[in-house]
Amino acid sequence: MPKVFEGYTVIELADRRNQFVGKVMADSGARVIQIEPVTGSDARFTGPFVNDQRDPDRCLDYWWFNTGKESLALDITRLPGQDLLRRLLATADVFVESTKPGTLAASGMDFATLSKANPKLVYASLTDFGQDGPLVDYVMNDAAHLAFGGQMGSTGYSEPKTTPIGGQGRQAFNMASVMMLHTITAALFEREMSGLGQHLDVSIHDCCAVCTERAVSYWMWYDEPFLRQTGQHAAPTYRTSNQMQAADGRYAIVTTPRFNQNSWVKMIDWMKEKGVAGELEEPQWMDEFYRAEQVRHGTAVADGIKRLIATETAEQVFLRGQGMGLPWVDIRRPEENLQYDHYKERGFWVDVQHDEIGKPVPYPKGFFLSDELNMRPERRAPHLGEHTRSILQRDLGLSTDQIEILTTTGVAR
Amino acid sequence: MTGPGLPPGFLNGVRIIDFSWYAVGPWGPRMLAPYGAEIIHIEPPHQPDDHRFDFRPARGINAKDQKVWAEEGSPPFYTGPYWNQLHNGKLAICLNTRHPEGMRLLHELIKKSDALVENFSGNVLDSWDLTWENLLKLNPALTYLSTAGFGHKGPWGGFRTFGPSAQAGSGLTYTSGLPGREPAGWGYSHMDIAGGWIGGLGLIMGLLQAKRTGKGVRVDYAVTEAAMALLGPYFLDFQVNGRGTDRPDFPPGNHSEWPGVAPHNTYRCAGIDRQGQDWWVFIAAETQEQFEALCDVMNKPELLTDPRFATNEARVKNQDVLDEIISTWTAPRRRYEVQDVLQSVGVIAVAVQGAEDRVDYDPQLRHREIYPVIQHPEIGEFEIEAFPPKMSRTPANNHLRSPLIREHTDYVFGELLGMSEKEIGEYREQGII
Repeated sequence: MPKVFEGYTVIELADRRNQFVGKVMADSGARVIQIEPVTGSDARFTGPFVNDQRDPDRCLDYWWFNTGKESLALDITRLPGQDLLRRLLATADVFVESTKPGTLAASGMDFATLSKANPKLVYASLTDFGQDGPLVDYVMNDAAHLAFGGQMGSTGYSEPKTTPIGGQGRQAFNMASVMMLHTITAALFEREMSGLGQHLDVSIHDCCAVCTERAVSYWMWYDEPFLRQTGQHAAPTYRTSNQMQAADGRYAIVTTPRFNQNSWVKMIDWMKEKGVAGELEEPQWMDEFYRAEQVRHGTAVADGIKRLIATETAEQVFLRGQGMGLPWVDIRRPEENLQYDHYKERGFWVDVQHDEIGKPVPYPKGFFLSDELNMRPERRAPHLGEHTRSILQRDLGLSTDQIEILTTTGVAR
Repeated sequence: MTGPGLPPGFLNGVRIIDFSWYAVGPWGPRMLAPYGAEIIHIEPPHQPDDHRFDFRPARGINAKDQKVWAEEGSPPFYTGPYWNQLHNGKLAICLNTRHPEGMRLLHELIKKSDALVENFSGNVLDSWDLTWENLLKLNPALTYLSTAGFGHKGPWGGFRTFGPSAQAGSGLTYTSGLPGREPAGWGYSHMDIAGGWIGGLGLIMGLLQAKRTGKGVRVDYAVTEAAMALLGPYFLDFQVNGRGTDRPDFPPGNHSEWPGVAPHNTYRCAGIDRQGQDWWVFIAAETQEQFEALCDVMNKPELLTDPRFATNEARVKNQDVLDEIISTWTAPRRRYEVQDVLQSVGVIAVAVQGAEDRVDYDPQLRHREIYPVIQHPEIGEFEIEAFPPKMSRTPANNHLRSPLIREHTDYVFGELLGMSEKEIGEYREQGII
């Protein structure tokens, strides 16, 4: 079966905000041409770099977010560059861009103009604040979005004087990119019937703002603001932390769920084995209703579990807990997952050949295990301008002389 | 045939069977409701979805009725706030899949549907004998999305997670926190929402693929894997440079590691919130121009010639000292004042906003109609959080509501499956529906 986006051509204006969109589409079979400045996309200079040597072709962050794409280095602030981009867009299926609203209209590349020449074009704008509104001129980065959108406000420690925290890894851009991918796929589905494209407007701030679980509905319905707390969801009051320290100093996320009888008996046996069952050994705890009441209003169960966790390694907490049907998982560093057979058996690590360092590098496969969607990186990220010549020649029909003029005048690289 | 009350949309005629519960599963189908998909949410009889209760009654919104219901265990017909988000725009029926007739009805539904979605733990559908092979026999063009913390295939396939534990297993929790301290993680189930959206992506991709090829699509979605795919560069840094995240300076709090730019942090402002927590503003200067503008606003031009701060490289090395200087400036100032004055000169600066700030004071969210008011037959009018994307020609409908319990029994069993009123009554008496 072909990959899900096979047959689609995507033109992407390089940007740290939207590059994940093109990556997932390329990994899913689309031909993705990234248009980047002749000096290289900003994303090439993010770091980390191979051996910490700054080099636009050896930026690992860029490698991850740009697998399978082609690079066309083109100065689209100049007329010849704009003309070539317009010609590419005349036949493209999807245009992914993140420019400030109004920027592309100035050179006749707004949706209204482009869709006249190419009515099937899906024009996907992923921007900080969307296409309109009082704050569209604000300058932002990923952490700023997590602050303004509510993620930080809910995240941190159980200390009212300690700073809120934003997670690493550009998760604001990531979640908005996922929303844009969903919207593009929906638009392509719709296009199967209508034959028409449309303009898609996704705002990173909008996406963050609706991604804080119950924080907003609690304010709307109960007028209750949240407290940040360690190892626990933000909530109107402080609660027992789900984050417990194991014997090896590592942490695990451990909940006190509504134990079924089977899980409870096994857990108590485990506590007895470790000599930490305490009062939980007493017969009244075998009664489910009593237990549920205590879990809701008391701390004896959480305290007992805390004692248990302190006797085991975090990994054992995970393996033995799961063996009892408890949703307990150790807090791992990302790279620790490389060792586990589970992910190997699922084929989660996919080798991508890197001639720059003379060996393949195992990449995370992507979001899904699915033979039919077959999302996986097939090719390394492009070097700066790696495909400029072939695209100008094959796709746009330019002669060698014309290409020479474009490169010597600095329009292309 | 289209379900009752569905908005016109390009997904009219697309039918999804939705066995999802908790938070990560419901998002996938819910993201298609604004475009007119017919999503049949199935609850077991006498076991209403947890989110219908949302743990306690809403204040001011039928609170009295909800209390009676909780005490007497009578069938719920009103809803908790999060239920309205997670199951917005869906239809609702009750079906006992443990009864052979209930299973037969499910088979009939599968034959008439485009997708089946569930987030049970790994082995539930297999135990119903609904393996992928058997699902394909019922419907060769079915999209089947299963969501589980570790997926279905593999040695951990039957393991259980919820949002925070899936985050913990992936590495996402570990990457959030202050250096030298325990992880801060995420103060909500990020992978229930962002992870739910990713599941939604798998679902719409599956529907597109099935539409284009006419063949069924199986998506085994492991939330921990998706979270790892949100952390790609960490894996590459480890694989290529041998640099793991087990370092004293990691996680870097709100500093920026890649790219290394400074200043880049939260700074305490004047005032406290209703819970007694300090107010904060986030400030970053990613370019020399931004840093110069920041110094100008703070009236500290001397920093620009101070070798500790003159270049970005120097600022990164000395960012703790720089943070102190900026904090001294922000401390007596209101957070929105800092935001306004710095944004006006092109410096990245925004208040750390809570829910009240976003709902009541954020002019951009108001302009974008992110909190629309909807109508509900039992509750009346109330606000919800919108589905944010804006499609120019086929816009999302953001004025849908969640279903009452068993609201669509007549439509699904009567109209769709052709059962008579008498049969429906008999099946109900037998506890099948």
